[in-house]
Amino acid sequence: MYARLGEIIGLDASIAVTLAAHQAIGLKGIILAGNKEQKARYLPKLASGEHIAAFCLTEPSSGSDVASIKSRATLSEDKKHYILNGSKVWITNGGMANIFTVFAKTEVVDSDSSVKDKITAFIVERDFGGVTNGKPEDKLGIRGSNTCAVHFENTRVPIENVLGEVGGGFKVRVRAAPVRAARFMVSSLAPKMTAAYACMRKQFNKSLSEFGLIQEKFALMAQKAYVMESMAYLTAGMLDQPGFPDCSIEAAMVKVFSSEGAWQCVSEALQVLGGSGYMRDYPYERLLRDSRILLIFEGTNEILRMYIALTGLQHAGRILTARVNELKRGNVSTVVETIGQKLRDSLGRTVDLGLTGKLGVVHPSVEDSARKLEENAYYFGRTVETLLLRFGKTIVEEQMVLKRVANILINLYGMTAVLSRASRSIRMGIRNHDHEVLLANIFCAEAYYQNLFTLSQLDKYSPENLDEQIKKVSQQVLEKQAYICAHPLERTD
Amino acid sequence: MPTGTLPRKEPAQQPPGAQIPAMVLCPQVPLRAARGLHCSAAARNSDSWLVPPPPEPRKGPGPTKALALHEELFQQAPAGARDKANFVRAVQNFGQHNVHKRGHVDFIYLALRKMREYGVERDLAVYNLLLDVFPKEVFRPRSIIQSIFIHYPRQQECGIAVLEQMESHGVMPNKETEFLLIQIFGRKSYPMLKFVRMKLWFSRFKNINPFPVPRDLPQDPVDLAKLGLRHMEPNLSATVTIYQMPSSKDSTGAADPAEPHIVGIQTPDQQAALANHNPARPVFVEGPFSLWLRDKCVYYHILRADLLPPEEREVEEIPEEWNLYYPMQLDLDYGRSGWDDYEFDIHKVEEGPVFAICMAGAHDQATLAKWIQGLQETNPALAQIPVVFRLAGSTGELRESSSGVKEPPPPPPPPEGQEEEEDNQQRQQQGQS
Repeated sequence: MYARLGEIIGLDASIAVTLAAHQAIGLKGIILAGNKEQKARYLPKLASGEHIAAFCLTEPSSGSDVASIKSRATLSEDKKHYILNGSKVWITNGGMANIFTVFAKTEVVDSDSSVKDKITAFIVERDFGGVTNGKPEDKLGIRGSNTCAVHFENTRVPIENVLGEVGGGFKVRVRAAPVRAARFMVSSLAPKMTAAYACMRKQFNKSLSEFGLIQEKFALMAQKAYVMESMAYLTAGMLDQPGFPDCSIEAAMVKVFSSEGAWQCVSEALQVLGGSGYMRDYPYERLLRDSRILLIFEGTNEILRMYIALTGLQHAGRILTARVNELKRGNVSTVVETIGQKLRDSLGRTVDLGLTGKLGVVHPSVEDSARKLEENAYYFGRTVETLLLRFGKTIVEEQMVLKRVANILINLYGMTAVLSRASRSIRMGIRNHDHEVLLANIFCAEAYYQNLFTLSQLDKYSPENLDEQIKKVSQQVLEKQAYICAHPLERTD
Repeated sequence: MPTGTLPRKEPAQQPPGAQIPAMVLCPQVPLRAARGLHCSAAARNSDSWLVPPPPEPRKGPGPTKALALHEELFQQAPAGARDKANFVRAVQNFGQHNVHKRGHVDFIYLALRKMREYGVERDLAVYNLLLDVFPKEVFRPRSIIQSIFIHYPRQQECGIAVLEQMESHGVMPNKETEFLLIQIFGRKSYPMLKFVRMKLWFSRFKNINPFPVPRDLPQDPVDLAKLGLRHMEPNLSATVTIYQMPSSKDSTGAADPAEPHIVGIQTPDQQAALANHNPARPVFVEGPFSLWLRDKCVYYHILRADLLPPEEREVEEIPEEWNLYYPMQLDLDYGRSGWDDYEFDIHKVEEGPVFAICMAGAHDQATLAKWIQGLQETNPALAQIPVVFRLAGSTGELRESSSGVKEPPPPPPPPEGQEEEEDNQQRQQQGQS
């Protein structure tokens, strides 16, 4: 549902962001963790739009590192208020909002009577006093939305306004739950806007649309839009199931793929227009600037990749614990079994996980792609086992390895979404389903080969694995904090 | 034929019609003829083996006169003015004394020895001038046989000696040198070969030092100290602080011993580590350690602490909700396998943390106490931590006296030379006194 709404509003990024900041994160805290009085007091006005909400977590010295926030809330003498002090930076809707969900550190006495600082969430109204905001920030894109710093000076927050429980702030933090649908709107718009130009403009007596490279760009835009839509709606469908399914990994995957896909699509669209794409008169440069923020906010793509990989590995690690322990202890039968499996893998085995064939789930038109997906998934599973054996708990530090794992996962999810949508289209007879089949096959083939390359990079001694060299280069560059090569024209005599 | 005096060595073949220069060889040098060309370099063990040591005074007026004359040229300068102009003048005077340049080989050897006194050993122009002393066009081989056998070996040795001294002082020869060498010795001679090699390898080895020290070191001790400290601590975020400048030099430029310079360096990481240091454990000021920068030796002291024994090392606690985005700690039972374990390195000895380094003009406790006081401004935690001074009794460097005879080394310092436990108050007292 939210995906549909987001689609309509996603036409303009600033509006979408303002809405999202108000509804998706600003209110969600109250909805998820608020008690009845808080909901009754705040939600009606927020839903009608009389009050606007904002979400205040980031501080100048802590973006991703939440435990280092410096805002403090101390209990006042009469134990009825908390005195909130601190400043938050880059708050969307900061200038217009009346209700803020603020995270601050409070002193909590543990069960063993040790005093610790824990994060607590508060609902702060502007009327409580002491809330000031700085001037609106001058941003690269989404300049329509209001982003500013918010300062709290001795703001008195009644203890009834504590969201959740004292010290339970992190549960309130809404993690990547809603599907960010604005992205694929941008990329599905892109072909429409540029196609007219491409067909009209003639160079060397041929219209642009007859040149191979331009055709490639359009195919890329169409393909990315298709995949993004498929992934977003698949995740939204999963979330709409009864109960509260935890689709946080899928949502994160959608976010990463969509933000990078949108950036690429808009960039290519601008490229098709050439010089005029660069001019302020056309909307492309605004779209480009607006879509750049997609890679940054709501969890930067790097952080989300870590999240995807680590959550998956945690899950896999638990299942594999027994096996790994046995292997480490040197249980002969397990070792022999593993070696046998590896030999059979290296000789090339056909993987059949039930997607294709007579009782298969996918339509025969996309059978090849389904087989590729199965093969990728199987080999990915084997590689994950090896990785866990190699690194165990310390895989958290190996970010380059985790990035590759996350990339494979995103590709796999994309392939799944695309295959299921294409099969549905054919079986239901939706118009232009053969186009969909084409797009699905192209994407699956590309993703398959990318996955194979990434899997080969995950081996320790493979020539594609350049981790050591990369780490060395970065260490030398960061030591001198500059580019250290001599100028090409330098001589020694 | 061989008698007390050895015969003069004639050139291998007389060029037809050319006059044999009468002063080709100085009689002293044939003493070394037996060791001249055919023995290996290993036979000579002093440093500047190509430049023969000054000969002992001999009886007889003839030979010593020439040498004494050359010495005189160098002593003509007024006492104390040993600089380039006087050297150049002395070399040019040589040519004036006899047109035929008798004994030029000896003169050149002498001049090479004297270069260091005059401070011109790094000056290419002076070397070119010295090469200019050779008569031109005489020593070039004119036939195949001359070029097979080393033509005018003493002169070629002398030319090689000049280039050798250039090499050892890191002076790069230029086109003028090349032209001179061609004029003097010809293209196929050993000095020319050495020159070509120098040109190739010098340019290749110019940047071979991964930690280069600049060629011209600063004379000012404070600047030298800053250079040395930056050399030791290349971390760009480290800050160099001058805690005390030497008092104004009014007379001759020597720093006043009552107020030597104190320059220290500290990185923000070291500051943080010092702030977290347990006040129950002492920190030590150790030194002085020597650091050589080209030919200058500077001494530094460090402020360090011992490693915590493994029982007391605190395990870093990862706070629960440190990262809201991804789990910083996986809840798995097993750790890294041996295949990827890079932690053990047999060359790395874990030593205690070093908190700061300083270079000071004097190595006594009073100066270092001033350094600690200066450090306290940026590290207030230092006020609570006891500081133990572990200073070596001497710098440990052998000092050469001017006569060239080494003094017996000073007695080894007692293991913990001047160890004094100082409390906060005592240090303050001393600082004030």
